[in-house]
Amino acid sequence: MEHSKHIWRAALILLFLGTGFVGVRHFLIPKSFGQAGHYRYDSIFEYMAQEPNHGSRESCRKCHEEKFAETVKGRHAPVQCEVCHAPVSAHAKDDKKIADMPTNPNHKLCALCHQKLDSRPKGFPQVDLRRHLAGGGRTVAATIPDAACFECHSAHEPSPLRGER
Amino acid sequence: MEETKKTGGVTRREALGTSAKGLAGAMFVAGFGKELDVAGWLFGKDAVSKPAYDPTKHMYTFLFDISKCIGCGSCVRACERENNVPPHHFRTWIERYRVFGEDRVLVDSPNGGHDGFEPDPSGEVARKAFFVPKICNHCEFTPCVQLCPVGASYRTPDGVVLVDVKRCIGCGYCVQACPYGSRFLNPDGHVASKCTMCYHRITKGMRPTCVEMCPTGARRWGDLKKPGDPVAEILATRETHVLKPELLTKPHCFYLGMYKEVR
Repeated sequence: MEHSKHIWRAALILLFLGTGFVGVRHFLIPKSFGQAGHYRYDSIFEYMAQEPNHGSRESCRKCHEEKFAETVKGRHAPVQCEVCHAPVSAHAKDDKKIADMPTNPNHKLCALCHQKLDSRPKGFPQVDLRRHLAGGGRTVAATIPDAACFECHSAHEPSPLRGER
Repeated sequence: MEETKKTGGVTRREALGTSAKGLAGAMFVAGFGKELDVAGWLFGKDAVSKPAYDPTKHMYTFLFDISKCIGCGSCVRACERENNVPPHHFRTWIERYRVFGEDRVLVDSPNGGHDGFEPDPSGEVARKAFFVPKICNHCEFTPCVQLCPVGASYRTPDGVVLVDVKRCIGCGYCVQACPYGSRFLNPDGHVASKCTMCYHRITKGMRPTCVEMCPTGARRWGDLKKPGDPVAEILATRETHVLKPELLTKPHCFYLGMYKEVR
């Protein structure tokens, strides 16, 4: 076999390339790729590892039982604390306070839900604030103080006026 | 003859030095091996922790009730705070539809409804008007997953369309492909970003933030594989609609009280 060395050379080159391909592929393709589809399955565990910021009402209740009790009996019962305040993660960590919880006593906060709009459901309580402040009818209040709503209503239990309780 | 201690061509000094180096190396690997994840790098061992959660046991879906949405934007703000969504980008948003006269439809979504909606300054009264919450439809046959060139977009076994941010190259094909406009390129990292159905919450037994924070119950979310699930019950017994059904993407985001004007 005069030319056998050519065959051996070709075989060696192929073996080298094949090993290289398998080796490079091993390092480039993540281990979990293809485990459940054409994607890296471990990615879903990375999403799972994210920490929630919102704790919902039950996490607020741990320290603020009295506010909880006040809110759940009123018409704002379906409104979560964190809607008007801020996520609990900015305020408490491991049931310990880390920063003040922001409050926003501004009529613009109330207007997000209660500003009169033709596109809101008809039965939902809405006010035209300038008319509401002037006592309804055709008159219109000249200015709206920042804390306009909170002079009469409590944010946690808005239905009875402050003086009527 | 001072080389009397020489054995096998190695002096005692050399032998001690070599073994000290070897010991130091072994100690280094033992001490920092876990941090460096040498084994993980060599053998592809994953460093992520895997919670006890079986995605094949669930199939999630959204259900929105248009007649209950008041357009307050609580969902948009909550999503932003929960998932650190950059300003003026939206994983969920609210559209206001107002229909005048024969067929004039005005649709607006100022800042995605993040700051609520203002009354129409013209005072024109709409014939009908309503709010439509929008979000990723988590489609079963979704174009955004089909065309991703690097396999970074995928749908989990429990029906959530996600982006593998470590693989995403930020080409933006999926952003263009989504018929519902629910994806964007995150300026932070320049990778595709979208609603994750709060995957970090739902896998811990919580509800998605937008559903949890909705004050009127307009947003609902359920598990089709859970017996007696209220959302699954509604889907099984009542009339519901999806967006752009003609595209056959099979959205997992259903609407109650749908209007024909909604696109």
